[in-house]
Amino acid sequence: MVALTDSEIYLTTNAAARAEKALKEFGSGDTSVVALDHVTMSVEAERFTAIMGPSGSGKSTLLHCLAGLEPLTGGSMYIGDTDLVSLSDSELTVLRRDRIGFVFQTFNLVPTMTAERNITLQLRLGRHPIDRAWFDTVVDELGLRDRLHHRPSELSGGQQQRVAVARALINRPDIIFADEPTGNLDSSSGQEVLGFLRQAVDNFGQTVVMVTHDPGAAAHADRVIFLVDGRIVHDLDGPNVDSILGQLRRLEA
Amino acid sequence: MIRITLENLLARRFRLISTAISVLIGVAFLAGTFVLTDTLGATFDDLFAEVNEGIDVEIRSAEEITTEFGVPVRGRIDEAILDDVLAAPGVEAAAGAVFGYAQFVDPDGSPMGNPGQGAPTYGFSWTDVDELNPTNLVDGRSPAGPDEVVIDAMTANDGPFAVGDTVTILLEGPPQRFEIVGVAKFGRADSPLGASMAIFDLDTAQQVLAEPGMFDAIDIVAADGVTADDLRDTLAAVVPDGVEAITGDQLTEEGQNAVGDALSFFNTFMLIFAAVALFVASFIIYNTFSILVVQRTKEMALLRALGAHRHQILGAILLEAVIVGIVASVLGLVAGIGVASLLKGLLAALGMAIPSGPVVFASRTIWVSLLVGVGVTAIAALAPSRRASTVAPMAAIREVEVDESGRSTIRMFAGLALLATGLAVLMWGLFGDPPDTLAAIGGGVVFVFLAVAALGPIAALPFSQVVGRPLARWRGVPGELAQENAMRNPKRTSTTAAALMIGVGLVASISIFAESAKASINKIIDDAFIGDLVIDSGSFGFGGLSPELAADLNELPEVDAASGVRIGFAEIDGEPQTIYGVDPPTMLSIVDVGISEGDVGDLHSAELAVHDDYAAEQGWEIGDTVDIAFAQTGVRPLTVTVLYTKSELTGNFFMGNEAFEANYPDVFDFQVFVRRSADFTSEQARTAVEAAAADYANAEVQDLEQYKQTQADQINQLLGLIYALLALAILIALIGIANTLALSILERTHELGLLRAVGMTRRQLRTAVRWESVLIALLGTSLGAGVGLFFGWAMVRALRDDGFTELQIPISQLVIVLVVAVAAGVLAATQPARRAANLDILKAIGTE
Ligand SMILES: Nc1ncnc2c1ncn2[C@@H]1O[C@H](COP(=O)(O)OP(=O)(O)O)[C@@H](O)[C@H]1O
Ligand SMILES: [Mg+2]
Repeated sequence: MVALTDSEIYLTTNAAARAEKALKEFGSGDTSVVALDHVTMSVEAERFTAIMGPSGSGKSTLLHCLAGLEPLTGGSMYIGDTDLVSLSDSELTVLRRDRIGFVFQTFNLVPTMTAERNITLQLRLGRHPIDRAWFDTVVDELGLRDRLHHRPSELSGGQQQRVAVARALINRPDIIFADEPTGNLDSSSGQEVLGFLRQAVDNFGQTVVMVTHDPGAAAHADRVIFLVDGRIVHDLDGPNVDSILGQLRRLEA
Repeated sequence: MIRITLENLLARRFRLISTAISVLIGVAFLAGTFVLTDTLGATFDDLFAEVNEGIDVEIRSAEEITTEFGVPVRGRIDEAILDDVLAAPGVEAAAGAVFGYAQFVDPDGSPMGNPGQGAPTYGFSWTDVDELNPTNLVDGRSPAGPDEVVIDAMTANDGPFAVGDTVTILLEGPPQRFEIVGVAKFGRADSPLGASMAIFDLDTAQQVLAEPGMFDAIDIVAADGVTADDLRDTLAAVVPDGVEAITGDQLTEEGQNAVGDALSFFNTFMLIFAAVALFVASFIIYNTFSILVVQRTKEMALLRALGAHRHQILGAILLEAVIVGIVASVLGLVAGIGVASLLKGLLAALGMAIPSGPVVFASRTIWVSLLVGVGVTAIAALAPSRRASTVAPMAAIREVEVDESGRSTIRMFAGLALLATGLAVLMWGLFGDPPDTLAAIGGGVVFVFLAVAALGPIAALPFSQVVGRPLARWRGVPGELAQENAMRNPKRTSTTAAALMIGVGLVASISIFAESAKASINKIIDDAFIGDLVIDSGSFGFGGLSPELAADLNELPEVDAASGVRIGFAEIDGEPQTIYGVDPPTMLSIVDVGISEGDVGDLHSAELAVHDDYAAEQGWEIGDTVDIAFAQTGVRPLTVTVLYTKSELTGNFFMGNEAFEANYPDVFDFQVFVRRSADFTSEQARTAVEAAAADYANAEVQDLEQYKQTQADQINQLLGLIYALLALAILIALIGIANTLALSILERTHELGLLRAVGMTRRQLRTAVRWESVLIALLGTSLGAGVGLFFGWAMVRALRDDGFTELQIPISQLVIVLVVAVAAGVLAATQPARRAANLDILKAIGTE
C-alpha cells in the first residue's frame, strides 16, 4: 500500500479529463463532509475507466465534478485542456452539451420525446446538424432501429439505457460519464449495456468513465480506480473480476 | 385524517396560496360590492332622515308617474292649499316648498356639476320655519327678493364664491345673475352628498324653478301633543282631491326605498362581475386540486393500503379545500373593504360622483362572502377529491406518462350536449321571451363556457399542432418542449386556458357589442340627420337647455331651422314611457323620422305621433284616442295622428310643443338640432350659433362628427368600466396559468434536471416554460375570441329591432387582446420559469 500515499503517480499525459488536488466539501463547519479529499487523477483518452469504492466514498461526486455538474471547493478539473473552474454556469452547460455524454442510473430520457428525439437531444439543443450516417450506425449498433418512434414509457429499462447510450454516442463527445448505468437493470440487459460501452471505446474510439459497485461491471473496463473516503486508494490496470474482488477485500480489511 | 390534512396544507402552503388568491380576489370583489352598496345605502338613508327630520306631515300631489329610470315624478299643488292647512287644528307651522333644476356657472363660464351623470344640481325655496329648513347659514343671511340667492358651502368653495359676489345660474328660463347673500351648510355637510343647492326665497323659487302659484309640497310641523299620524289624518280630510298627506317618516321611507331600488340595480351589475371572478376562480381551484391529487397518488395509495377508507380520503381532501376556502374568504372579506374604496374611486374616475360616508360592514356581507367563498372552493374541489378517493391501494408507482384521457368520446358527447343546451338557453334568452331574460342569458353563457371548457382538450391538440409546429421549428428544442408539455395533460392545459377564455370571451363580446352600437348610432345619425349642428346639454330628464336658446337660434340669419328636443315621462297602460316633445315642422326639416302615415302639421295640443311598430303592437291606428297619464295633468286622451318608422332619435312617441307644454309645467330641451341656411358656410353658421349659445354655459355646440364622438365617448366610458372589471377575471386566470405551470414544473423536476445536465441552458429552459405559458394563453384567448365573437354576434342580432342595425367586429381590438394575452402569458411564466431555470440539477436528478 506504499504507492497509495502519493496520488501524483496516477497522472498520465494522454488525458481526456484531469483532476488536480480536487477538493469537494459539502456543508461547512462541524457538519461539513469532505467528499473529495485533494484527488489528483487523469482519465486516459479512448479508454474505459471504472470508479469503484464503498457507498459514500465520493464516486458520484467525482463524476459530477468531472462532468461540470458540481463546482469544486478547491483544486482544479479539466476536460481536455479546458479548466472547468474558470467557466461560468452557462459555459459549463454548453460544455456538457457539446463535449460530454451522459448515462445515468435512471430517468435518462425526456418522457415526452420519442427515442429518436431523445437520442438527438443534445445536438438539437445546440442546434447542431445531425450526421445521418453516424446516427444510423449508432442506432443499428444498439439495435434501436424499430424503437425510434416509441416514447420512453413504451420502452423496457434496458432499451431506455440503450437509448441513453446512443444519445451519449451521437454527439461524439470528448468523454462519456456513466453513473451506475446498470444499477437498475436485470443482469442480461446490464451485460448488453456494458457491451455497448465497451464497443464505444473499442470500435468508435470513445472515452468512458463509469461509476459502479459491481465487480462484474467494472471488469469490462480497462482500468479501475478505487476510492475510499474521498481519496484514491488504488489504481488497477487491465482488471478482471478476481483482481477486483481481491482489491475490494483488501480495502475492507 | 385531520392531522394529515393539516400537515398536507402546511407542506403545500405555497401551492395553495395561489389557489387561495384566486378565491380571495373573487370574494374581495363580492364583499367590496356589498360594502360599497351598503355604505352608499346608509349614507343616503341618513340624508333622507336628515332632510325630513323636522317634517311631521307633508302634503303633496297624489298624481305620480313612474319613469323608466325608476325614480317617480309627481305633479304640483295649488299654493292656496297652504291657507287651509294653516287653519287646520294641530298645525304648529307650515311652509310651501319648491324645488327644481338650477345649475351654477363658475367664474370661468363653465357649468358646475354634471347632473347627467353625477349628483343633481338643485334649486330650493328658503323657509323661515327652522324645523322645516335642513340648511344652516354659515355666512350672510337668508335670501329675499328676485335677485338674491344662498349657495351651498361646497359650491362656495369650488367656485370660489363669497357673500357679495354675483353668480350666473342656469334655469328653465334664460340664465340669470344673482347676488350671493348667504352660504349654507346642509346639516353638518357642505352639500347634500355632492349635489349643489341654489336657495331662493319662495316667490323667486316658484318663478325660476317651477310655476307661480304652485308648490311641490307643503311641509308641516305638528303642534305640541299632536302626533304626526293624527295630524296626517286631520289634514287628509282638509286637502282637495288629488292631493295627499303623508307623515315625515313615510316620506323618509319612500326616499330610502327609491334609493335602495337604484342601488340594487348597481349591486346586481357589480355582483355579475364578482360572479365572473368566482367562476374563473373555480376553474383554478378545480385544476389545482386535480394536479395535487395526481401528484399525491402514491401517498393516497399508501393511506388506502394502511386502511384509510375512501370517504376518509375524500373527506381529507375536501377538508383541505374547505380550509383553503375559509382562509381565502376571510382574507377576501378584509380585502373587500379596500375593494369597496377602489370601486368607489373607479366610479369617481369615470365621472360618477359618489358621496362619502362611514363604511358599513353588514353581517350579511360576512356570511354571504364566507358561504360563497367556501362553497365555490369546496364544489370545485369535489371532483378531484372523488378521483383521489378512487385510487387503488396498490396503485403502481408509474413514471409520468402522457395523459390521453382528455380525448374520450364520453367527454366529447357530454361537451356537445352541454353546448347544445347552453346555446338553446342563450338563444331563448336573446330572441325568445323567457320569464327572466337576464337569468336565461347568464345561464346560457355559463353553459356555453362550461361546454367549451369540456371540449377544450379535444380542441387543444389540433391547436397545439398548428401553433406548436412552427414554434418548434423556430425555437428548437425549447419550442418543442413547450408544445409537448402544453399537450402532455390536455385537460390540465385546457382547464387553465378555459379560465382565461372566460375573461377574453366576455371582453370580446362586449367590444363587438360596443363597436356595433357605435356603428349603428353613426348610421342613424347619417341616415336620419339632415342638419348641421347638435347642441347638447349633457342632461337627460333633469334640467337641460332653456327653450329660449332654440328660440334665439331661430332668429339668426345663419340658421334655417333650430328645433329643441324635450323629454317627458308618462305612463301608458301602467308602463313607464318617455315622450319626446318637438316643434314638428322645424324638427322634420332637420331630422328624418320616416313618417309613414299622417301629417305632422296636425300635431296640436291633443295629438300624438307613434312609432309604427309600437302602434302595431298595441293595435293602435290613425285616429284612435289613447289614454296617457301625466304627472301634472293626470290621464289625458290623445289622438294618434302620425305614424313613423324611425325610432332612434325620438323614441316611440313624440308630440308637438303645444301638447308637450300643456302637460309638462317644466320645459327643458335636452338637445337642440340646427340646420344652417344655405347662404352661409358651416364655419359662419357655427360661429354665429356659438355666439348665441355663449350665455348658456351648459350648451355644447357640436357638428355631426363631434356629436358622433360624444355618443361614442359615452359608450367608451361604460366600456372602460366593464373592461376594468373584467380585467379582474383575466388577472385571476393569469394567476391560474402561473399556478398550473408551477405545479407542472414541480412534477417535471426530474426531467428538467436531466435536460439541464445534458446541456440545456437556463435561458433555453426559461424559453420553454415561457412558450408553454404563451401556448396556454393563446389557446384560452382563441377559444375566448371564438366564443366572444359568437356572443357578440348573437347580442347584436337580438337587438336588431332596437336599433342595432350594424354588426361591427373590431378586428384591431381583437388583435390587441391576442397580443396582450401573449404578453400576459409571458408575464405569468416569469416566476415558474425562473424557478425551473434555477433548479439544482443534481438534486433534481436525484429526486425520486
Ligand atoms: N449534496 C450533498 N450534500 C451534502 N453531502 C453530500 C451531498 N452529495 C454527497 N454528499 C456526501 O458526500 C459523500 C460522497 O457522496 P457520493 O459521491 O454520493 O458517494 P458515492 O457515490 O460514492 O456513494 C457522502 O458522505 C455524501 O453523504
Ligand atoms: Mg453514488
